[in-house]
Amino acid sequence: MTPLQRALAEAPERAPAPPAVPKQEFFSFRLGELAVGVPSIDVREVVRVGWVTPLPRTPAWILGVFGLRGEVLPVLDLLRFLGKGESRLTDRTRVFVGVAGSHAAAVVTDGVLGLREVKEADIVAAPVGGDAVNEHVRGVVPARGVHQEALVLLHFSKLLQVARQRAVTR
Amino acid sequence: MNLGGEAHIDLLLFEVGGQKYAAHAEQVRRVDRATADAFERRSLGPLRDGQRALVFECAEGEAQLRVDAVHGFRRVAVDQLRRMPASAQADACAVGLWLSDEQPLVLVDLMETRKGRHGSDAT
Repeated sequence: MTPLQRALAEAPERAPAPPAVPKQEFFSFRLGELAVGVPSIDVREVVRVGWVTPLPRTPAWILGVFGLRGEVLPVLDLLRFLGKGESRLTDRTRVFVGVAGSHAAAVVTDGVLGLREVKEADIVAAPVGGDAVNEHVRGVVPARGVHQEALVLLHFSKLLQVARQRAVTR
Repeated sequence: MNLGGEAHIDLLLFEVGGQKYAAHAEQVRRVDRATADAFERRSLGPLRDGQRALVFECAEGEAQLRVDAVHGFRRVAVDQLRRMPASAQADACAVGLWLSDEQPLVLVDLMETRKGRHGSDAT
C-alpha cells in the first residue's frame, strides 16, 4: 500500500461535524422598558387580545378572561404580577398564549420582538438582590452593542404555576 | 332542554355596575323592584341604582339580589358554556362563562351570591 493509499484508507467519509453548541429558542417581547424572553416551547400562539371580560374578585394581575376559538383564557398582567407597574389594554395590544402543563393563560405584552436563539453559554445569572422579580428570572442575556438589547429570561412555566397557586391561596 | 339533539339552557341577562352577567333562568323566581330586604353582591361591581332585584328561592325562603337592569332571556346552546378557569380564581358566585358573540359573559350562581367565600360581601 502506498502512502497515499494508506492516507486515503484513514481519511474520514465526510467532514467532521462542528461541536454542538447548546442553545435554546426564546419568544421575546417587550414588557414595560424590559425585553423579556420565555422559552418558545411554552408559547402556543400570539394574538391580538379581544374583548376582555372582567371577573369578580380576581387577583389584580388577572385582568379578566377572553374567548379564543371556544377556549376561555385568563388574561395575565405580568407587570402587575411582578410588581413593576401595570399594563394597559388597547385594541392593538397583543397577548401570547403561554402554557404550563394543562394550564394556559394569555399574557399581555407591550410589543412582540420575535424569536431569538440564545446559546446557553451566553446566559448569565440574574443579579443577586432583593428584587422579587429575581425569583422568576432564569438569567439574563447581556446587551451586545446598540443593536441587541439585554434580554431577561423568565422561568415561565414556574411563574404560571406560582401565579395560579397565589390565586388559590389568596 | 334538548332541541333537535342540541342541549340548550335559558339564561337571564342582567347588569350590575355597567357589567353584563347571566344567571340560569330556572333559578330566578321573578324579577321585581328591590325592597329593603334586597342584598348587594359587591364583587359584581358597584351598583348604579340597584332598583331591580332577581328574586330566587333559598333556604330561608326568598332572597333578592339587587341589580341595575335586566336584559331579558336568552336560550343558548350548552356547548357555548364554559367552566370558569381555575387559574382565574374568580369569586365563588362566578361559576362559568357563556361565549356569546360579543365577549364572554360571566355566569352567576344566585345561591352562591348569598354565601360566598367572603362572608361580608353580601350585604
